[in-house]
Amino acid sequence: MLRSTLSKVLNGSKLSPNLVCVTFRASSDVAKKPEKIEVFIDDQPVLVDPGTTVLQAAAQVGVEIPRFCYHERLAVAGNCRMCLVEVEKSPKPVAACAMPVMKGWRIKTNSDMTKKAREGVMEFLLVNHPLDCPICDQGGECDLQDQSMAFGSDRSRFTDIQFSGKRAVEDKDLGPLIKTVMTRCIHCTRCIRFASEVAGIDDLGTTGRGSDMQIGTYVEKFFMSELSGNVIDLCPVGALTSKPYSFTARPWEIRKIDSIDVFDAVGSNIVVSTRTNEVLRILPRTNEEINEEWLADKSRFAYDGLKRQRLITPMLRDNKNQLTPVDWEAALLTVGKVLQQAGPNVAAIAGGMADAETLVAVKDLLNRLGSELTCTEHVFPMDGSGTDLRSSYLLNNKISGVEEADAVLLIGTNPRFEAPLLNSRLRKTYLHNEAEIAVIGPKVDLTYDYHHLGTSAKAINDVANGSSPFSKVLKNAKKPLVIIGADLLKRSDGAAILSAAQSLAAQATNKPEGWKVLNVLHKVASQVAALDIGYTPGVDKIREAKPKVLFLIGADEGAINKEDLPSDCFIIYQGHHGDQGACIADAILPGAAYTEKQATYVNTEGRAQQTLVAVSPPGQAKEDWKIVRAVSEIIGMKLPYDDINEIRSRLNEVAPHLIRYGDVEGANYFKQASQLLQEKKSVDDSPIDVKIKDLQDYFMTDAISRASPTMAKCVQAVLKQKESKY
Amino acid sequence: MDELKIGTLKGIDKYGNKYYENNRFFYGRNRWIEYAPKYGTDYDASQVPAEWYGWLHYKTDLTPDKDPARPKYKWMVDHTENLSGFSGAYIPYSTTRPKIEAWVPPKSS
Amino acid sequence: MAGSLMKFTSLKKSNINGIFAAIASNGQIHFYSTPPPGTPPPQTKTKFGPLADEDRIFTNLYGKHDWRLKGSLKRGDWYKTKEILLKGSDWIINEVKTSGLRGRGGAGFPSGMKWSFMNKPGDGRPKYLVVNADEGEPGTCKDREIMRHDPHKLVEGCLIAGRAMGAKAAYIYIRGEFYNEASNMQVAIAEAYQAGFLGKNACGSGYDFDVFMHRGAGAYICGEETALIESIEGKQGKPRLKPPFPADVGVFGCPTTVTNVETVAVAPTICRRGGAWFASFGRTRNSGTKLFNISGHVNTPCTVEEEMSIPLKELIEIHAGGVIGGWDNLLAIIPGGSSTPLIPKNVCDDVLMDFDGLVAAQTSLGTAAVIVMNKQTDVVKAIARLIMFYKHESCGQCTPCREGINWMNKIMYRFVDGNAKPDEIDMIWELSKQIEGHTICALGDGAAWPVQGLIRHFRPELERRMEEFNKKKVSSSN
Repeated sequence: MLRSTLSKVLNGSKLSPNLVCVTFRASSDVAKKPEKIEVFIDDQPVLVDPGTTVLQAAAQVGVEIPRFCYHERLAVAGNCRMCLVEVEKSPKPVAACAMPVMKGWRIKTNSDMTKKAREGVMEFLLVNHPLDCPICDQGGECDLQDQSMAFGSDRSRFTDIQFSGKRAVEDKDLGPLIKTVMTRCIHCTRCIRFASEVAGIDDLGTTGRGSDMQIGTYVEKFFMSELSGNVIDLCPVGALTSKPYSFTARPWEIRKIDSIDVFDAVGSNIVVSTRTNEVLRILPRTNEEINEEWLADKSRFAYDGLKRQRLITPMLRDNKNQLTPVDWEAALLTVGKVLQQAGPNVAAIAGGMADAETLVAVKDLLNRLGSELTCTEHVFPMDGSGTDLRSSYLLNNKISGVEEADAVLLIGTNPRFEAPLLNSRLRKTYLHNEAEIAVIGPKVDLTYDYHHLGTSAKAINDVANGSSPFSKVLKNAKKPLVIIGADLLKRSDGAAILSAAQSLAAQATNKPEGWKVLNVLHKVASQVAALDIGYTPGVDKIREAKPKVLFLIGADEGAINKEDLPSDCFIIYQGHHGDQGACIADAILPGAAYTEKQATYVNTEGRAQQTLVAVSPPGQAKEDWKIVRAVSEIIGMKLPYDDINEIRSRLNEVAPHLIRYGDVEGANYFKQASQLLQEKKSVDDSPIDVKIKDLQDYFMTDAISRASPTMAKCVQAVLKQKESKY
Repeated sequence: MDELKIGTLKGIDKYGNKYYENNRFFYGRNRWIEYAPKYGTDYDASQVPAEWYGWLHYKTDLTPDKDPARPKYKWMVDHTENLSGFSGAYIPYSTTRPKIEAWVPPKSS
Repeated sequence: MAGSLMKFTSLKKSNINGIFAAIASNGQIHFYSTPPPGTPPPQTKTKFGPLADEDRIFTNLYGKHDWRLKGSLKRGDWYKTKEILLKGSDWIINEVKTSGLRGRGGAGFPSGMKWSFMNKPGDGRPKYLVVNADEGEPGTCKDREIMRHDPHKLVEGCLIAGRAMGAKAAYIYIRGEFYNEASNMQVAIAEAYQAGFLGKNACGSGYDFDVFMHRGAGAYICGEETALIESIEGKQGKPRLKPPFPADVGVFGCPTTVTNVETVAVAPTICRRGGAWFASFGRTRNSGTKLFNISGHVNTPCTVEEEMSIPLKELIEIHAGGVIGGWDNLLAIIPGGSSTPLIPKNVCDDVLMDFDGLVAAQTSLGTAAVIVMNKQTDVVKAIARLIMFYKHESCGQCTPCREGINWMNKIMYRFVDGNAKPDEIDMIWELSKQIEGHTICALGDGAAWPVQGLIRHFRPELERRMEEFNKKKVSSSN
């Protein structure tokens, strides 16, 4: 249920945490009687909490009740009526998705009345549903198909087809990602509820009534959100399907490989669907701790970038200063020779999509050559505790922990576009937990209301010393959170900001045991692993060191360019896409993208997860760490690992949590961190900025998404939308 | 071919294959070819040129040199044998776009 | 209390001449001595109606008198309202309970019980009374008469009912098409505020109460209580799921009771004259007086206040001047507004107009909007037209109603011509059963019942048409 208008009205603009709480029936019941009540599902007794719906109670004993409109993560609509079940002594069947059970109810999910009700509803749903399953993209994974097989009548009596046709509805243009065939719509309103509850965009709704009701955007408008793709998964029929995937494959033809998303630091769990060595689509995989069952649009749709601008063969710069394809042997020999000549004058920069295996291999290689210059493209302050203490660079309280927070301070971050799924959690907290959210940084649309405490970094000090209206809220809050954007710490006073935030977080004393106030939100998937392995954040050191050879591991953000380096510096680019890094390179070693290798990534919470091989690397590209291993053999400093297990045991030596997949290795060194604080510099007054402010900035942020035509279309669509009068 | 047979030499094509007939054998086995010695044991049926193919397969009883009705145009190309599996094999160009589009490095001056 | 009652009746009698004239014009003056309150239980009563003039609650139903504050004061409105308020909510509810008043909106839920649901210990949320003046049911025209000619009855009723529930304010949701009614209501509310009857310290009782009016935008479904709440909140008028019931979560998330205009408007009179007086009318469990709307093929269509349990035939003969062409020319009657199943003449002959009597006749009292159809009616077409209405007014939220009524509508219009097979009658019966009881609100039921009534009583007619149609088809194709 959406946050009630009333509470906002009563709350007004005051900053009172003691809101007039609008208690809904279910919660108040729970408060009153915590003891369980007994109900019977098909004569099986089950003990459930008061306020449990019939459907949930049935699920507890493994009885699945058919449904279309009901979805666990959305408000109950109860309008499809598919979940009608008989309750003994009730004259009418009840909607299982909405009806809370009462003590002693005997629910019959298989009685004649239930079956008849389902059959009737199914008949009605099919009355106006086109039977175009053969050309429908949902075919094979369609709830309506499945349930009409299971619960529908075995014959049709739609005699009216001889007199009048079925309803036809014009398709809507929802933008470049979602294809609509509105005639197939069964009006379950899941998409509407998702848009308004989770995505926070009230663009979708119904117009018209009765049999003329339509789902749409009211006015001609795109449905553009960073989470819009999820309505495709939610749609139980083929009314909303994926535009890039349309007419591509059938679900029974494809192979599904579990993997991890690397477009942001959240590390969403995904399923990569492939056929004939080609990534066809990416779907979210449920992980309650991280992405629930949602997926951000960039992660979902940028996969076509994996097929374009690829580096498929090694390249070397020839005497005409052109990059020309060569074979592996030549490339490796050249690289080896250059490295041998350079000796310790070697540096490496890791980009945002580098995996932990490669990171550790490169670091080992450079260490053997006598260099310590392994850096990451993305910055983090090294002053004070710096990166020595894990707790100062992790999202310590975990992504799911955000849901429990009651006061959140966002500093210099735009979670909506830096980590859309974290933002959806924040919105959930805002809606259900009545959390107070405040922002220091530019004013951006976060899909929920927040208190804007100013753009200046000084506002952090104001909150800390109590002069800000939000400091009281933060102090009184039972579960406060401070989330700092990693980008902010790039500034010259980044360390001061971090320490200010650390001291601010230390002020919260009401918090329960184990609650961690200070959180850092990273923007790229590789950063935490790189810091864990011991990379130096930022490339300033490299600028100073003037290396002879620079090894770029997928570093495409232009953190360093040729002018920063001595003219005779030899640049080796190892990666999967031809982008900024490849342009300045003297040698290119084609690596594998995240769908093409088994690799370890650590998300911003410090959770290690691994991708699996979905397709093989294109052309002559190889898995990244193997390339490094080959180079090491050529220069005669053979790295001691030959297969994935051996390099993982090396990872285990460096940091054991890197191979504990799925678990968060927490850190709790806030005390030590504050002891190491040296208030050398003070926070300066310049305004805080975030890189991605608006939706059009969101879609193309890295080598893969910059190569993706779909993402380019999204940017175009957003810009077009901006021009439209709606 | 691969057997001992006696017959009348009906003609030799320009590749050196010899064509024989002996009507004492029953129909179907009364016409045969002896491949040119340059083929050695690498002979195959596609080495029979079109003008002799018809005679050899009973489409006509007239050998090419005795058939005035045979058209002769300038544009007719020479017979080639089937080169599948060899370097000269015909490979049609692809009409589909490649699954992976490679990066083309920008030309630097 | 007795004193106030005495005064009340005397005041009323002094004002009654006008009403005499109004009723005399219809030639229907009936003096009938009703037993005073407190006499033997009503079930001993065997004859019901007609209602005596002094027992009429709505004394300006026909707009013969001034509807504004001055006129209504003369008719006894706002008389000792303060004293009633001061007796407290328990007393009011008790009185309503004694009166046996049942909701006048159609469902007939006992009002006293409904109002008492609101008196649970509060949790800090304000409570609201919502008056459902979205009178959209075809055939029903009782609430508009109240609002147009006796708006102060409703305003006062809001105050008393609101006091009974401890409500903070009342919202009157008025049908969008009712322009005059809305403007009269607004004037009446303004007058009440100016006279100090509403607002802070209403009627000097120390009780704060506000009345707001909200005009609808012309959707029948907004007469459904939860859809009405949604509409007041500014959303699309689509019924909510129940539970939670409005008494838990209603307008703006606060406990709310939605009641019909008539139910609220009779409350002040019940409080003044006593629940027992009200209970003396009609059969037990069906007590009170009621506004009946008689329309269709009658000589003088009218809205009239009558005693409950009056025989249908008597109601029509006395007040509506009889069926056009005589009682024998009667074909069927829809007794409670468009959503109730029709009853054929043989049932009409002796059915009693109350909740239980009509339920026994497999129909329902509904809003007591009697639609009379004589033998010139094309009854199939009439029902088909009703289904078309429901098809048009379905909100489209839940499947059975959205798809089912549309389908029924298609079939019904084929039935009008007879362009169907006889087994489709069974099919549409089954369809109506698939809609009934499977929807979120009662609109689906209301659409299913007329069809069921038609099939129940006029199946031979349907089959005859189909036969005729097929004969014609065969002869034209030959």
